[in-house]
Parts: sequence; structure tokens; C-alpha cells
Amino acid sequence: MSAPELVTLTIDDVELQVPKGTGLVEAALAAGIEIPVFCYEPRLGPPVGACRMCLCEVQPGPPKPQAACTLTAADGMVVKTAATSELAREAQDATLEFILVNHPLDCPVCDKGGECPLQDLTFRFGPGNTRMTFPKRTFEKPIPISPAIALDRERCILCYRCTRFSEGVAEDGLLVARNRGAHSVIATFEDEPYRAPFSGNVIELCPVGALTSTQYRFEARPWEIQNVPSVCGLCPVGCNITATTREGKVKRILSRNHPELDEGWLCDKGRFGFSHLYASDRVRDPLRQLGKRRFEALSWDDALDEAERLLRSGPVLLALSGSETVEQAEALSRLVRQGLRSDAVVFPEQASPAIDAFRAPLSAIRDADLVVVIGDEPVEERAPVVGLWIKAARRKGAEIVTVGVSGSIAVSPGTAAEAVRSQLADRIRGAKQAVLIWSGPGGAGGETVAGLARELGASAAFFLPATPNGRAVVEAWKAGTEDEPERPDQFGCLLISGDEAANDPGVRSLAERADAVIAITMFADPLRGWVDLVLPGTSYLERDGTMVNLEGRRQRLRRTVIPPSPDELAWIAKLAERFGVEIDPHARAVSAEERAPLPARVEHAEAPTKPAPPAQPTARGGPLRLLRYRPLFSGPAVERVEELQFQRPEPAITLSAHDAQVRGISPGDEVVVRSNGTSVRLRAHVDRNLVDGAVRAAEEHVRQLEGAVEVSTS
Amino acid sequence: MLLGKPMASNRHVVLADADQHDLTKLAEYEAVGGYQALARARALAPDAVIEEVKASKLRGRGGAFFATGMKWGFVPKPDQIPKPHYLVVNADESEPGSFKDNEILSRVPHRFVEGCLITAHAVESKAVFVYVRGEYTGPYEVLVAALEELQDRPEIRGDVSILVHRGAGAYICGEETALLESLEGKRGQPRTKPPFPAVQGLYASPTVVNNVETMATVPPILAMGGEEYAKLGVENSTGTRVVSVSGHVVNGGNYEIENGMSLRSIIDDLGGGVPAGRRLKAVIPGGSSTVILKGDEIDVGYDFDSLTGLGTAMGSAGIVCIDDRTCMVQLGIRVSEFYEHESCGKCTPCREGTRWMTAILRKLEAGDASQSELDLLLSVCDRIIGKCLCPLGDTAAQAVASYVEKFRDEFQAHVDRNGCPFGESSPLHGVLAPVAQGAHQPAAAVPA
Repeated sequence: MSAPELVTLTIDDVELQVPKGTGLVEAALAAGIEIPVFCYEPRLGPPVGACRMCLCEVQPGPPKPQAACTLTAADGMVVKTAATSELAREAQDATLEFILVNHPLDCPVCDKGGECPLQDLTFRFGPGNTRMTFPKRTFEKPIPISPAIALDRERCILCYRCTRFSEGVAEDGLLVARNRGAHSVIATFEDEPYRAPFSGNVIELCPVGALTSTQYRFEARPWEIQNVPSVCGLCPVGCNITATTREGKVKRILSRNHPELDEGWLCDKGRFGFSHLYASDRVRDPLRQLGKRRFEALSWDDALDEAERLLRSGPVLLALSGSETVEQAEALSRLVRQGLRSDAVVFPEQASPAIDAFRAPLSAIRDADLVVVIGDEPVEERAPVVGLWIKAARRKGAEIVTVGVSGSIAVSPGTAAEAVRSQLADRIRGAKQAVLIWSGPGGAGGETVAGLARELGASAAFFLPATPNGRAVVEAWKAGTEDEPERPDQFGCLLISGDEAANDPGVRSLAERADAVIAITMFADPLRGWVDLVLPGTSYLERDGTMVNLEGRRQRLRRTVIPPSPDELAWIAKLAERFGVEIDPHARAVSAEERAPLPARVEHAEAPTKPAPPAQPTARGGPLRLLRYRPLFSGPAVERVEELQFQRPEPAITLSAHDAQVRGISPGDEVVVRSNGTSVRLRAHVDRNLVDGAVRAAEEHVRQLEGAVEVSTS
Repeated sequence: MLLGKPMASNRHVVLADADQHDLTKLAEYEAVGGYQALARARALAPDAVIEEVKASKLRGRGGAFFATGMKWGFVPKPDQIPKPHYLVVNADESEPGSFKDNEILSRVPHRFVEGCLITAHAVESKAVFVYVRGEYTGPYEVLVAALEELQDRPEIRGDVSILVHRGAGAYICGEETALLESLEGKRGQPRTKPPFPAVQGLYASPTVVNNVETMATVPPILAMGGEEYAKLGVENSTGTRVVSVSGHVVNGGNYEIENGMSLRSIIDDLGGGVPAGRRLKAVIPGGSSTVILKGDEIDVGYDFDSLTGLGTAMGSAGIVCIDDRTCMVQLGIRVSEFYEHESCGKCTPCREGTRWMTAILRKLEAGDASQSELDLLLSVCDRIIGKCLCPLGDTAAQAVASYVEKFRDEFQAHVDRNGCPFGESSPLHGVLAPVAQGAHQPAAAVPA
């Protein structure tokens, strides 16, 4: 890469050199000079120059103040901010005065107070008095634009950051400006809730207290909180976050910009999901089953005695969730493999190191000219931020091709890889930077997409796993001990790690075959009647440890609050002692860096990729192949967050237009979905892109159904 | 709205032959030489057409008075930016006091269309969008009928498609970048410049935005030659201009004049002067957004340089006469209310400032204002001027400030007497289009 051309300009009598094209706001910052802004936010696209807070005197240019945020540095440019120019100072004073004319100045009761750019700028530069002598504009307030977000239109300064995010970043287009002039207000269409996976980002973008979190309203003041940097553990992206805590409780989650990974965007699951920590069925003490539906609390000594007894009762099978930290998985591995001499384990998903050869930061998607998404699940449901990077790529002019059951190239389930080979090989080979993304079941843990990337010369490949830390957990299990114990033919005790495994129908059926079941979970309610001993689990927000995201980036989780019970590592170490195994009860932090770097690409010995067998065509009106997906807004954490309930998908099944038509089904109809003698009633959705012969439903709505289903109106 | 009687001092170019013939009919337009300029233009290379227009020294008739040939010359050639090139015509005439484009579209639609086709040839565009003010139902129908007549005339239309789009009642959509946003289906708000429309206009493609009258002037320029056209008018303001005369005059209406004609002559000779027994108190020379002139400042040429010398502008050529019964504070309220109502809300000074201006003016009129608030009004205007994203706020504040500065005694009297010296007797009806604040019903204003 050639060095960028440098230009020399003067800002407030400071001469500096910056790369050509640098925005004046950034250039000034490089010289230690602040140009105040409200509407300016480079992540939202080109500057709009709306708020006029950044007015400066700029030469060459017209003899009036210029919006510095809309200008880029040029050779010989002379910029004078309010610090050195009377013209700029008067202009900025004017803007602040106009903004404050109708602002309620209710800082003492405003959530933003203490961390509000408007408050800060007013305090530093604003007028001490008002010259305005008529009543301020009033609006009804606060307006819940969704269960998670409240809007105060009186505080709004109409910087349009939120609507620009909605239109130009998330591309949901749900948040708009209504009316005109001084009557302009931020609104949703027809006052419907702002229901979109990234809605919460507008709270953070708002430079005043107009958009606030209903979870955080009146909960804390900035001078009594602690902000702890950590990483989100709810999906394989691992967005960087800051947890705001007060008096030992998490109060909110904010994004923490990692430019290669999340660009500072956070999905609503990551933002609002934290309140699962305080769910009513949170396990705070060890619990032992008492009678059919009840649990009794145990002391830790009794719990460890009971655990030891159950673990010694027969060969042990461990079921992992994929949300454990590396350190937890290693500890469990040593307990089970070394201490209990068992190699029986149920992994959350398949993992392959082949993808490491095509490792790249997620930001590489934005810089691609061809992005091919392969697989049968929408990207947003698995790894939401990846969806934003794909949208960014499209805005930059990249071609986006989706290959899957409802892709732009629609193919039968399980045949996507073959379709890429036969239909896209030339385009991928011909692209400057082609990025392949595997999103869906199958794919051999990334091996298939890595094979395609190697064969077709793609520049990067990503595999979107179903669990936050699945691959690292699998590898930690294998690395936990050098012993190679036997894999028993049968098991007596099932040890379940994590709520996701405990809620998995497959694990549940294993439990029916076990003599004893121990579960390490955060929540007790789903365990009633079938688990003998519950040991308290912790959330990603309560653990120190390591997680490896889908890029292969090792990131550090920090304990943001103390869990209600000792964390897993602490008591696993105690329990392991009883089996003669010594385990470090503390996680060894892997990366002390604020933003974890991405390791270099690694070539592993290549395993040949087998093409998936083509799916069997289905007969007209006959059984349909049921494809389950795990919605973003689902799972044990989401189920326990009141503010996220409206985001969960309604119980529905999606059919192709043809399959709906031959069955006489219209969109919105209630239909009966049957298999093997069981049935559920679901709302029918029709997806014109969906391939015939397949139907799609959220996993949580079709738990009891098998692979092939009949769908009918009655 | 009838054209005034031909006068020795005026020369019809844009509206030529329209008094004698029904030029809304293709046959009659062709009978007076219509579409021959187009044929001449098409025989020339695009650059040669631009040179012809440059030679005419034509400047845009929308209000900014930018050199038309130069604007066309800024458009990159198709091989420089391989995207579609667009011609967008601004027919969203909304300036209170201006109604010239209405008459041009209604009476010489084919001359307008011919101008569009010539311009499309010059800037190598295959698609023309005409953005017509939603309330202009009459001109819209005339224009659509004229385009229908061309359906059977492929040799005239060529491979150019002309699409007529109707606005939905927003003054700001007369600002070229807001117009482009609106045309793209977005909220009508101005864009920051640069990038300029010539490079990134409609759908981020090279775009020329021109006014209706500019388009209708192009065929006569091609017909008579640029240099010949440049002999009309005065230096820096060549050619003719269609001016709208309204307010307290005997013969209000549109008149095509040679630029440089005396403003007094326009008002007295063409407009018939103020009705008998009254005195001309003030004149808004170029539509409501221009700085007002006092009644004794009208011995000035109606051209760019002369009016700039008086600190005002030709704007969109809406000449509004105001007689001595009129209260300037009430006029200020009317103008300020209009701009408050039409402010798009994007930039802070315009959105908040115009509302504040109106509030102070209302207090003055009600007799509730203190001396300091009179100064505050000027200060608020001053804090708007030069700080806005587009000219709407700037010009609104300049116009209102000029009322205070030029009629300070009258504003002072409102403070001193704790009320309006004119009261109910001030005849604002007939001065500027009435704004129905709060009763604005777009659905009623734009018939489906």
C-alpha cells in the first residue's frame, strides 16, 4: 500500500500535516483542538451538516462560517475555531442558543445528565441566561417507541443521528422524521414499535436525553456507576461491550468500538439481554430435587458431597453448551477425563480448524467486492453484526449473492455448496476480493466453506457457528488433559454444562436414559422434575475468562459483577480435588489488550471435503422438509428479559409460494403442522424466495416435530 | 393572469407569439417555427450547444442567477463518469410573489419542452424529470397534454424520456438538492454541497437542475444565436425576464421585460401603479425572500447589478407592491410565518430561528414587546444569517431584518404605543399568497 498523500493545513495557528481527505474534525483533534459536534458521526455515512455546531472560519472559502464537519483537510487551508475566531465563536454561540431555545433543560431528572454532550457544551460555551420570552415547544412524553426505548421529543435537538442509523446502517428504515420545521419529530411509521435487531444503538447515538433505555431510566447517575470493559457472550461474534454497574448490579450494556469487529454496533440481544441475571428463577444456591416438582437448597458442602456421590454412581457423560469459557471447558475436561476417567461428551456443534487458513477480520467483508453467503439460515439470526458488515459492503458497491433455501440463488436444503461450485465459480475467481460466509447447519464446522475458498480462490471465509464459543470449547476439552480415557459404552450420570444444553431436546432425551442428572445452570424452572442436582451457573457478565469468536480472535471476558454464588471454576476445582485432580480456580487472562488482535492465518493439514448428498425431491402435497433455525431473539437469556419479548418471532412456519398455494394456504392463515402423530398450530408465512419442498420454523416452535412434516389448513 | 399590452420597451422572447397564437397546441407552435431550434441544436455537437448558450450569457432564472452555460459545462462527460446523466427541471415555483413559471408552462409548454430537449442534448442526458409544484394543477395538465402530443412525434422526442413528477406541497423542494431528495422518494431536505449536483445529483449521478423559464429561454437563444440574445438586456443581465407584478397595483400579472428596465416603469407603466389616492410605501423586488425596497428606491434598473447595488436581488422576479396603509410588522409576521412553516427542520438556526422571529413579531404586533425585544429580533436574524445549511433561513432572516432596518420608526411605534398603529385597517390581503397556518391540508391542496 502506498503512503497516503499528506497535506499541510493550519488550525487555530497550529500547523499540522494529515493525510489528504481527513475530516476537519479529526484533523483538529490530531492537533489537540476540539471542534464541537452533535450531528457528526462518521459511522453513519457522509456528514450532513445539520446541527451547525461545528461552524468555523475556513479559508479559502466564502466569507461566512463553514460547517467544519462537512469539509476535509486540503493543502494551505486555514481553519479558525471558536478559540481564535470571533466569527466562529459567534456562530457556535448562535447554534447553542437556538438549540436551547426549546430544550427543556431538565438535566436534573434526565438520564443523560452527567454524560450529555449538549450539557457539556452548554456548560462550557453556552449562554448563562436565556433571551427567549415565550413558552417552549411541548410534546407528549415520554413516548415508548418500543418496549426497550423511550423517546422524549422535547429534549430532541433533531441531529438525525437515529434516523440516519435506521436508514443508512441497520437499513431497517423504521425510524423517521415526521412533520416539518420546528414541528419535526422523530417517530416510527404509524406509531408501530421500533422492532429491529439493532434498535438499541440509537440510544447510544443520541447526543441528548431524547432516546433513553427503558431498562436504564432513573436507575443510575453517571457519577455513581462503574463501567467495566468486557465482551458479549451471547453469540459467536463477541462484540466488545462496556457493562455499566452500580452497587454490584449490571444496569446497562454499551457498545465498545472494535473497528475490525463490531464498529461500535451492538444488537439488542447483547444490549438489553443482561437482565437475565436477575431472573426470578435464577439459581443462587445448589438445589437438590425434592419430590416431583420441587427443589431444596443445599449448603455447598452438602452439594459437593451429593455431586461426588452422583458422579461416582456410574460412567459420566458430559453435555456442553458452547457458551463456556475456555478455562471452564478445560476444567470440566480435567474433571471428567482425568478425574472420572470418561471420554464421553456431547459437543454443542462440529468444529474444524480448516477455516483458520482463510481467517480475516469481519471488517474484510465491507472491503470485499463480492460477498457470497452460503447456507440455509439468515445471517442476522446467527451473528447479527455480520449482517451489518454485509450491508456496508453492498453500500460500498459490492455484489452480494446468497445461496440457500431462500437465497438469491435458491437451492434445495443441503445443496448450497454444490450450487456455489457450479454457478458462482467464475464470479468468485474473477473477483478482486471475494468473501465466503457459511450461515446455517452443516458445513462441517467450517471445513466446507474453507474447501470452497481454497478451490475457488476466495480471499477470506467465515463460518458462523451456532454457539458463542463452541469451537474453543471443543478444543479446550481435547487439550484439557493428555490422558486418553476410554469412551464408555453406556453412561449412568449425565452432567450438563450450561442452560443452552439443558434446554436442548437432544440432551433432554439423553437425560431420560440416565440414572442421575447434574446440571450447571443459571435458571431452575426448566429443570424441575428431571434434574437431580442443580449447581449454580454464571453468566458471561459474571466470569473472568477467555472466549474465541468466529474470526478466531481470543478475547477476554471480565467479571463485571460478582455472581450470586461462587463461579464454576471455584467449585469445580473443589469438586475435582475429591477425584485427585488439581485445577486452578482462577482464569488466566489471555489478552490484556483493550482490543484483542486477530491471530495470523494458520494452514492445517487439509481434509478432503465431501460434497453433501443432494436432497430428495419431495412429492406434490406430500411431506415437507422442516428446517429449524434458532432465532436471534430466543434462548434462556432472552426468554427472561421483559424488554425483548416483543422482538421474539411469533409462532409461525414459512412455506414457499407454491407449497402454500397447492395446500390452499394464504399468508396469515393458522395451519396445522404434523409429524409422527404429533402436531402444532402455527401461523403460515409465505416466502417467495423459499425453495419448494422446504418449510422453515423457529426451533422453539417445533420442538416436538420430526424432520418431515405435513402442513394443512386443518 | 394575462400578459400586459406589448410595450415599446419590452420584447417578447419567452412568451413570443403567445398573445397571437394558442401555443399550447403543437401545430400552432410549429407554425411559428417551433422545434426548429431543437433541430438546429441536434445538428451541433453538445459542446457547441453549450458554447452557444455561454455566448448568450444566459443566467439561471430560478433565483440564483448562475450562468447557465457554465453550469452545463460543469457536468462531466459520459466517458468521465459512466453513469446516466440527468436533466431535472425545477417547476416547484413556490416563492410568495412569483408566478411566472405558472404562466410559462400554461402558455408556452412546447417552448419549454423544446428547451428541455435541447438541454438534454447539450448535457448528453436521456432522462428529463420535471418537478412540478403540486398545487399547479393547471400548468401540469397543459404540460402533460403537450407531452402527449409528442407521443406520435418520435423525431422530436428522440430517445429522451420526459417524466413529470408532482411535488406534495413543500417550499423547500424548490431548493435544488431538496428537490433531488424528494424526487428520489426521500424527505425533502437540502443536501450539503459539495458534492454539487453536476457531479452527484439525482441518484448520485451527474445532474443539471434548471428553472422552467431558463428552459423556455433556450430555444429562442438557439434560434437567434447566443450573441444576438446577448444584445438584449444589459451587461451581466442579458435577455429578457418574465416578472410577476402583484400586491397593491392596478394591473397585476406577468410581464416579459428586457432586463434593465426601470423598476418604476415596470410598476407604473406595466402594472398601472398603486391605486389612486395611495402612495407606494415599499416594494419587494424579487419574491418574499428578497430585501425590501422603500417606495422611493425604485428608480433602479431591474437587473442583477443594479439591484445588488441596493443590497437586494432579482430573485425569482416576484415584484410585490405595498401601499401606505400597510403595517410592516404585519407584513413581517406574514413572511416570517411562511418561512417558519416551510423550514424543513434540518438545520438548527433556520428551524429554531424562524420560529423565534415569528414569536417576537407577534409580540410586537400585540403591543407586548419591550424595547430590548426589538433589538433581539435583529440579533436573532443576525444569528440566522450565514449560519444555515441552505438559503431558506438566510433569506428569511435577511428579508425580515430589512423591514426593521428600513421601517424602524414603524416598529418603534409598536413598542411606544403598546400596539399596532394600523390595526385591522392594514390591507394585507392581496400581498403575498395567504398562508393558512395550521389549516394546511396537503390532501386538499393537491388533487389526486
